[in-house]
Amino acid sequence: MDVIYGLIPGMIILGLVSVLVFFWAVKNGQYDDLEGPAHRILNDDDVEDEGK
Amino acid sequence: MSQSNSHSQSTAVCYHCGLPAAGSSSCNGKVAGSSHVFCCSGCLAVCQVIHDSGLNKFYAKLHSQENTLSPPPDLPTDVDQYDLEEVQQGFVRNLANGNNEANLMVEGIHCAACVWLIEKALDGLAGVALAEVNLAHHRLRLQWNPALVSLSEIICRLGLLGYAAVPFDQDNAEGYVRRVNRRLLFRTGFAGFGAMNIMWISIALYAGSFSGIEFEYKQFFHWVGFAIATPVLFYSGAPFLSSAWRGLMQRHMTMDLPIAIGASVTYVFSFWRTLQGSGEVYFDTVVTFIFIILIGRYLEAVAKRNASSATLRLMELQPRFATRLTNAGQERVAVRKLLAGDRVFIRPGDKMPADGNVLSGESHVDESMLSGEFLPLHKVLGSHVSAGTVNGEGVLTVEVEQVGVGTALSRIINLVEVAQGSKARVQRLTDRIVPYFVTATLAMAMLTFMYWVGQDFDTALMAATAVLIITCPCALGLSTPMSVVVATGAAAQQGVLIRNCDALETLSNIDHVVFDKTGTLTEGRMRVSSIFLSMDSVSEDDLLRYAGALERNFSHPLANAIVKEVERRGFVFAKVEGLQSFSGLGVGGSIGGTQIWVGNSRLMMQQGIALSDEAEAFQKRAESEMGIPVMLSIDGHMAGILCLEDKLRQGASELLDTLRKRGIGLTLLTGDSKLAAESLRRQLGEIRVVAQLLPEEKSREIIALQASGWRVLMIGDGVNDAPALAQADVSIAMGSGTDVSLECSDVVLMGSELRKVLYAIEIGRQALRTIRQNLMLSLAYNVILVPVAMAAWITPIFAAIAMPLSSLLVVGNAVLIRYRMRKFLLRK
Repeated sequence: MDVIYGLIPGMIILGLVSVLVFFWAVKNGQYDDLEGPAHRILNDDDVEDEGK
Repeated sequence: MSQSNSHSQSTAVCYHCGLPAAGSSSCNGKVAGSSHVFCCSGCLAVCQVIHDSGLNKFYAKLHSQENTLSPPPDLPTDVDQYDLEEVQQGFVRNLANGNNEANLMVEGIHCAACVWLIEKALDGLAGVALAEVNLAHHRLRLQWNPALVSLSEIICRLGLLGYAAVPFDQDNAEGYVRRVNRRLLFRTGFAGFGAMNIMWISIALYAGSFSGIEFEYKQFFHWVGFAIATPVLFYSGAPFLSSAWRGLMQRHMTMDLPIAIGASVTYVFSFWRTLQGSGEVYFDTVVTFIFIILIGRYLEAVAKRNASSATLRLMELQPRFATRLTNAGQERVAVRKLLAGDRVFIRPGDKMPADGNVLSGESHVDESMLSGEFLPLHKVLGSHVSAGTVNGEGVLTVEVEQVGVGTALSRIINLVEVAQGSKARVQRLTDRIVPYFVTATLAMAMLTFMYWVGQDFDTALMAATAVLIITCPCALGLSTPMSVVVATGAAAQQGVLIRNCDALETLSNIDHVVFDKTGTLTEGRMRVSSIFLSMDSVSEDDLLRYAGALERNFSHPLANAIVKEVERRGFVFAKVEGLQSFSGLGVGGSIGGTQIWVGNSRLMMQQGIALSDEAEAFQKRAESEMGIPVMLSIDGHMAGILCLEDKLRQGASELLDTLRKRGIGLTLLTGDSKLAAESLRRQLGEIRVVAQLLPEEKSREIIALQASGWRVLMIGDGVNDAPALAQADVSIAMGSGTDVSLECSDVVLMGSELRKVLYAIEIGRQALRTIRQNLMLSLAYNVILVPVAMAAWITPIFAAIAMPLSSLLVVGNAVLIRYRMRKFLLRK
């Protein structure tokens, strides 16, 4: 059971890393517009219509 | 591309906006080789621009989402002001690579297809480096090279596509709110991390207490719990701790106090247990409790931010530029470019750009936003005027004395904020209750502790903590603001700006609606339809020239129509001296020595000008056909009559029908003659019409209605409606109205759709109903659970789950307003 002395601090460090990633994402404005990007990805115009 | 009028397609829908294309404004247009129907020439023009830019796929995207747009707004005017460096200082940042960056608020953004259209169209414009649309907040972030393209060109381009864009200063306007919200999100995120990890520790401890756990590991888990709970309490919980502490210092009981006491007592107790190495710890309670409360706070803050972005749009109503008089003539300049000693020209309905003294002219100026005194003050030569006050009927020349933030302008913006932050009466009641509530909670917790401590310290502490946590008055405190915030936010998205929260309450129980005619029930866009001449020496053109020269100094709808007609014919305006204006009658002045009067028959009577029989016949006929005759006299003789006509707004009859069915009384107020009003009544059905009213008589009508027990909603738009709007129990101004009427009303409709009036009334009902439900919910919750907690039947953990649940229930119920309003819109 001694393994938990390593596992639990490891779990907390991993958690902290994800918290840091979250902070970074907030600072980058990832949460500013929660609607637009979901639609924007569907608007791929790189493929031209054959008719044109 | 061809365009022709068509009246036949009653079932057709507009190719661009999807609204019914019927009536005289609908038209056919050929775009991309095929013919389509449009509801108005505006939609046709926008569709052509979209097609010419090769962005036709917009329509495919639009229809794939089953959406309809709104018809495009009018093309922007005065955009060149945004190219002035002085104006740009306010909202443009210069980037290191020489480009400029600005944020624009864009009206008309509707769905993802709009995002695509705007971004594509601007990408195709040379000099635009970046165009990024924020769909949630209707914003456009723009980077451009000022050497290649000007901001006004970009705004015009958006205007052609059917979007109205206004720059705004994001950092100033909401930088603070954003920073606070962001910090709150950090705290919530961190508490979430803590809650998720401490849950595993708890599971291990629970499992251990059933199947046996070695003391060494149990102690280790306790210390890990301590390590997680400590930063969560002091970082994530800091807002509660500091707010409770500040409240204590000021001897003021805040809602945060029981939260802070509950969390820190549980924390200290668990820490003590950990040191002792015996018994159970409750670190997980502390962390989860803080996490859930923070989620509620964040949701509230986000909803508030959405509501406050509507305030920004109102701030745009403040004057940005002024008309400066120089030796060469008039020029439009940015307000911040004005210097002390400049002379500025103020037209009726304009806001004063700066503090100063009147040099010439006379007028009544409404200073209610500064002094609270509603009656307008008479300003003559030498009188002092303050920035932000609203000019009444006359034309003034003002010498600027003081400019900038020192003037009344900043106080006005403050006023708008106060109006936004104004609380409903119910909420003020809640605010008064909270301190007593908190005191009672603390007393009950103490009582519980005293009672149980004789038996067992553990039970006593847990029961007391449970009482502290469970009675948290969050649900009570959240019930009103959440409903108000959700309701105003949902309304703002529909173009209904609720400026005063009391209005929500009043809107829900009005039983009489008073309409202004011009600009409210009708479109307010008058056209000169026919001209009657009674002097051989005066031609049609002369008549228009004289009338235009006088009327261009006023912002009345009739005046605008005449000026437009004169401009259409390409005439130059003559110089007018001694301008005079009589509210509700007409205007006068002299052009090259001849005295001209332009106005209604009462003005002519007042001036002792006789009407010929033919003139009278023309007047009667015009009035019976809903036209408004504007008479013109030259040197005391009747010269001719201009007949102006105005159409009923779309949806006017439907609105009146719906209101009538609900048993709401209807009154129409108008300054027009009885004949014209009678013809309108024939079209509208059963409605009380009061005609030939002067502006001050309109408010007297309202007082009379109120005296007979009605709760009156006034809907209006013009300078002359302002007193009536202020007098009514609650008032709605149409967004196309003058600044004066917007200033006096509780609700502003940004568009010109009359059915939004029903929306506004409905949202008032929904909000009030939700507030009542929420208050009942939170009271019921406390009445049931507090005795249970005092009896030590529930643990703090259960309390920590039940308490946020009650808050979330209240918040959820408030959010439902949005859903119910969407259903209301669909039903229509």
